Amino acid sequence: MPVSGSQLSGGKRRKWLHVTVGVALIVVAVALTVGWQILGATEGARAREATTLRWVVYFFGTVLFSLLIAGLVLIVTLLVREVRLNERQSNFVSAVTHELKTPVASLKLYLDTLQLRELSDGRREEFYRTMQQDLERLHATINNVLNAAMYTDRPVVDAQPLDLARLVRHSIDLTLTRHQLPPECFAYEGAPELMIRGDATALETAVLNLLDNAVKYSKDRVEVRVEVTRNGDGQAHLRVHDRGVGMTRAHLRFVFKRFYRIGREVRRSRTGTGLGLFIVKSVVKGHRGTVSAESPGPDMGSTFTITLPGVIDEPEGARPSAP
Amino acid sequence: MPRILIVEDEANLARGIQFNFEIEGYQVAVAPDGAEALRMLTGTVPAAEAFDLVILDVMLPGIDGYAVAERLREAGNYTPILMLTAKSRPEDVVRGLEGGADDYLAKPFDLPVLLARVKGLLRRRDWARGGAEPAAATARVGECEVDFANFEVRARGQTFRLTLLEAMLLKLLVQNAGRVVSKGEILEKVWNVTPDTATRAVDNFIVRLRKYIEADPRFPKHLHTVRGAGYKLVP
Repeated sequence: MPVSGSQLSGGKRRKWLHVTVGVALIVVAVALTVGWQILGATEGARAREATTLRWVVYFFGTVLFSLLIAGLVLIVTLLVREVRLNERQSNFVSAVTHELKTPVASLKLYLDTLQLRELSDGRREEFYRTMQQDLERLHATINNVLNAAMYTDRPVVDAQPLDLARLVRHSIDLTLTRHQLPPECFAYEGAPELMIRGDATALETAVLNLLDNAVKYSKDRVEVRVEVTRNGDGQAHLRVHDRGVGMTRAHLRFVFKRFYRIGREVRRSRTGTGLGLFIVKSVVKGHRGTVSAESPGPDMGSTFTITLPGVIDEPEGARPSAP
Repeated sequence: MPRILIVEDEANLARGIQFNFEIEGYQVAVAPDGAEALRMLTGTVPAAEAFDLVILDVMLPGIDGYAVAERLREAGNYTPILMLTAKSRPEDVVRGLEGGADDYLAKPFDLPVLLARVKGLLRRRDWARGGAEPAAATARVGECEVDFANFEVRARGQTFRLTLLEAMLLKLLVQNAGRVVSKGEILEKVWNVTPDTATRAVDNFIVRLRKYIEADPRFPKHLHTVRGAGYKLVP
C-alpha cells in the first residue's frame, strides 16, 4: 500500500538523518577533546614558538564548537518534529477507529434490531434509510484513506485538458446533494469556463474535500463563496470562503499536515480523520500548484486558496465544447 | 419502570439504542454531549425522575466520557454507568472502570448483550442494595455501620457515600466475612471481567474502603490483605 511505503521510507530517511547527525556530533566532540589535550601538552613544551599552532587550534576549536551547537539544535528540531508526527498519528488512529467503528456499530445495531423485533413497515423503511446513511459515511471514510494513500508524493503523469470551472460547479452540486442543502448555501463567482491541464479525478477529490470542510466547519448557517479566476500569469485560482468556525494563527500552520486535527480526539467535536486537507495538498502538489489557508481568527470564517499552473490559452472563437 | 440516560453524540446510534430500550419498557432520555449529560444528571430533579442507569459514550464533544464519569462521582452521584465506546484496548477498559464506570462494552456490540448488560447492572445494583431481604441491607464492621440500601458507610460521626462497585465489593467481603476472597473472584463477581485481568483496580478500591471503615487505614483491623491469596474482612 503506497501510504505505508512512503511512511516507511520517510521513517527510514529520518532515522538515518538522526544517526548521521548524532555520529557527526560525537566525532566533533572527540576532535575537540583531543585537540585540547594536544594544545595543553604542547603549551608547556613550546610556550613561545607555538603561537601559530595555538591560533590554528583556536580557530578549528571555534568552528567545531559552532558545529556542535548547530548539530544539537538540528537534533532537537528533528525530535520535536518526530514527537508531533507521533501525536498526530495516534490521534489519527483514534479518529479512524471512531470513524470506522461508529457506522459499523450503528449498522450492526440496526441489523440486530431488524432481526430481533417485529417492526412496522414505516419503521423498517426508516431503519433502512439510517443504515444507508451509515454505509455512505463508512464508504466516505474508506475513500478518504485510500485517496490519501493514492495521491501522496505522486506527480500527475497524464495531464488532460479539463474545464476547472465546470468541475468546481459539479462539485458544488455534489456537496449540496450530499449534505442535503438548498442551492443558496453556495455562491459561485468567476469564469464560466477555465481550461487547464490536470487529472480530473484527483482535482475533483481535492475540491470536494475543500467544499466538504466548508460545510462541516460552518456554524448554524452554511454560507460559502466559491471563486474561480484566472489572472495574467497563466495560473488558475480557486478560492473557497466560508463563514464558519475559522481558526487561530497557530492552527493555520498545521492544517495541511497529514493526520492533523484541531483539538484532542477524545473530545472530538466534528467527524473526520485528519486526512482531508492533506489530500488537497497532495493533489495540488502533484499538479505543481500551491494551496494556502487564511482566517482572521476563531469564529470569523476561513478562506482556502488553490493556485494551479497549466492554464490552456485558446485562440478567441475556437473554444472546444465542454467535455 | 427504570429510567435510562443515553449519552451519545452519534444520532443514529442514540436513536437505535433508545428505540430498543423503549420497546423493553424502559424510560429513555438522550444527551448529545457531556455538558448536557452532567446538567441532566446533577440538576435538581425529583427523586422519582432520577436516572437509574447511564449509558455513556467516551468520545464526546466538549467533555469526554471519562471526565463525565469522574465529575459525576465527585458530585456525589452514584448512578450506575455502562461505558459504551469504540475504545476497546485493555488500558481503555481499565481507565473507564477506575474512573467510575461500572461496566464497559466495546462498539460494535451485540444488541442482546447490551440489553443483558443493562439488566445485569440494574440487578447488581439491587443485589448490592440488599434486594428484598431487609436483613442483608445493613451490616456492622467494627465501629461502622454499612447501609447497603443507601450506599452509605457511617463511621466516626461521618457518612461516606459508596459507588456501586464499592458497595458490591464491600458486600462480597461482608458475605464472606472471616474467609479469604481472592482477587480473581472479586474481578469476576464485582467487575464482571475475567479473573486474570491485569489491573490495580481492586487494590485501589480496597484502599478506598479502608479509608471509610478503618480508624487508621495504615494499620487495618478489619480489612486485611492476605499476601498472595486475596482479602479478608474481619467484622
